[in-house]
Amino acid sequence: MSNSFTALYIAYSIVWVGVFAYLVYMHIRQNAVDREIRTLKEVVGKHGQ
Amino acid sequence: MNKSRLALVLAAVAVMLLLLTAWMALYYAPIPQTSVKSADKVLSSIEGRGIRVAGFVCARLPEPHPVVETLGATVFSIADFSDFRNYQDAVTDGRLNDTWWTVRPLDVLVRSMNEEVSSKVILGANLSVFGTVSSLKLGPNSNVTGLSLEVSGSDDVLMGTSASQFDILTAPVAQKIFYFHMPSAWVSYVAFFTTLLASALYIKTRNQKYDRWASSAAELGVLFATIAIATGPIWAKEEWGVYWRWNDSKLVTTFILWLVYIGYLMLRASVVDQGTRARVSAVYGIIGFITVPMSLLSARVAPLLGSSHPVVIATQGGGLSPGAGMTIGVAVIAFTLLYITMLIRRVEIAEAEEELEELKRSIGGEES
Repeated sequence: MSNSFTALYIAYSIVWVGVFAYLVYMHIRQNAVDREIRTLKEVVGKHGQ
Repeated sequence: MNKSRLALVLAAVAVMLLLLTAWMALYYAPIPQTSVKSADKVLSSIEGRGIRVAGFVCARLPEPHPVVETLGATVFSIADFSDFRNYQDAVTDGRLNDTWWTVRPLDVLVRSMNEEVSSKVILGANLSVFGTVSSLKLGPNSNVTGLSLEVSGSDDVLMGTSASQFDILTAPVAQKIFYFHMPSAWVSYVAFFTTLLASALYIKTRNQKYDRWASSAAELGVLFATIAIATGPIWAKEEWGVYWRWNDSKLVTTFILWLVYIGYLMLRASVVDQGTRARVSAVYGIIGFITVPMSLLSARVAPLLGSSHPVVIATQGGGLSPGAGMTIGVAVIAFTLLYITMLIRRVEIAEAEEELEELKRSIGGEES
């Protein structure tokens, strides 16, 4: 690497990108599950009627 | 306060502390100058009657060791020439002239256990040691891992008051990676401990909620271990000149730890039945934890491989400067809070996923 600051910034980027990417992944996963639950409940509701 | 709100508050505090850590690491924590290290990282080669030494740190052995002798003094240690290969590679590749190896002269004092031998060692522009100690001679089939060495020249960065009170860092700026690397590793250990605990509780009670905690913690542990494993080699490249050392116990055991918990997640993904999945992964989570103490202690207790990995919490000598200690303290708190926050959220998602699975099962049951 050209100098130590480059290495430092790359390492810091890995940390921040890693953490925030996982937070975004959790958010997407939560939304997908919630949406599916909602849809299924609606289907069950209609089926019940 | 419900769990979601608590997680939100903790998340806000964690992010603020993370930002504070970044600021402290860059502007508050001093660039390290001195510390105590064990003897390792020697780059050496026999040159005539002398020995070329590069990139080592010093150590003083309790007794003179006969394998190496100097002209007029008896010296110390056994050896590992793994670094010598790196040195040879660097020579072959012409890297001796780039930034890592750029040299500048500095007078030093090489001290054996019994006598002092003046010599000249040249320090790299970014502080790697590189030079010739002409008064040393290697015995047959013997190598050197460390020299007791005292910097006596005038250098704005390196001054050691005694042979055992300074260390040579080839890349002091890159050392700031440590403020994120070490807390990540710490949190991954905590996460895997959570998995162990929750797995044991699941085995005992068969309560599904413990399985959720175990799997969520393992996933987060893998995330933080990945961060630690990704950032470590970046520092290593600057400090050691290589990204990875397969003969370093700390690196290898941590890599095994990472693979073991990747295996845990893969195992969970491959078992469909909820009960079986929980049971099997609980057993795996308990057995797999053996890799945590292996990784944690490998830099201290490593009779087979040895390790150049820095030991942060030293039992004697060394340690961190107050500024660095404060920064790492804030970083550890920030990462721990972040972990707790993420764990709470991840468990909530696991609950929702189980609800979904249950719902699907009930619909499937009704239809059949």
